[in-house]
Amino acid sequence: MNIINDPDMKEIVDDFCDEAMKLYLELDSVLDNLEDDPRNQKEMENFGQIIDRVMGAAKSIGAEEIGKFCELEKLIGYKASQVTELPLLEVVVAVLFDANDLLKRMTKAIKTGESKGLESLNTQAFVTRLKWLSEKFKSIERSSVAATPKQQIGQADIDNLLQDLGL
Amino acid sequence: MELKSDLKILVVDDMGTMRKIIKKMLVQLGFNNIHEAQDGSEAWPMIKTHLAEGAPFEFVISDWNMPGMTGIDLLKNVRATAEIHGLPFLMVTAEAEQSNVVTAVQSGVNNYVVKPFSAQTLKEKINTIFSNKK
Repeated sequence: MNIINDPDMKEIVDDFCDEAMKLYLELDSVLDNLEDDPRNQKEMENFGQIIDRVMGAAKSIGAEEIGKFCELEKLIGYKASQVTELPLLEVVVAVLFDANDLLKRMTKAIKTGESKGLESLNTQAFVTRLKWLSEKFKSIERSSVAATPKQQIGQADIDNLLQDLGL
Repeated sequence: MELKSDLKILVVDDMGTMRKIIKKMLVQLGFNNIHEAQDGSEAWPMIKTHLAEGAPFEFVISDWNMPGMTGIDLLKNVRATAEIHGLPFLMVTAEAEQSNVVTAVQSGVNNYVVKPFSAQTLKEKINTIFSNKK
């Protein structure tokens, strides 16, 4: 289902944009708290959980770029919730503020149908910045709500695993 | 396999967009008795109420990561309740980690699908769940 380019699905895309915008405001509030106290692990984890909600829906409507942004932000948020180095956390909060701002602009561009507006945002440069930041957390294992160390797998691997587990 | 079109389905997701997408897919697949809840804490009382009224849900499609009550906690509640412990339950999630799949299976999930997914994938998952149930 390629929703984002389907005129019949505009209502779902608009709903996504409205819902995502509300969540970005929640993220602003979380980031405000983190700016005051970057070591607030609960808020950092909260950031990861909120961005996860946007990520799933973004990927599902075919908003790949937003999905990719969210994926990187989620990774950074969860990993940052496990460190206590203040200078690094301050950088994380600043970058996440910028990323959230860019997400708002990307979402607005989708809602208004301004594809040129989206192109002018130079999101790839920011993705590189997010990737650089995520590299800083290479040694941190947990990157999601999973309680145990990660091993990212695809749907086909999941299906094989489910079969092995008897489903 | 052919399932009845009025199979009573509960879709649980904190993102309205996701609920709409899943509902649209289910309608495409021919289902017409679809209910929605925005997280586990809304879904769980709905499941109990419909059970008490003698018209229980027959299939749950739930997101994992939700505020209030997570999908995995909702699943555990279902499995811990004698009258509905076998209720078919599909976990929908953005989490593609092996450990999550194992956790979900250990908690009694019937199947697991990662966002984004197509109507065809959803159909295959539903067929697998209800074939295994027979």
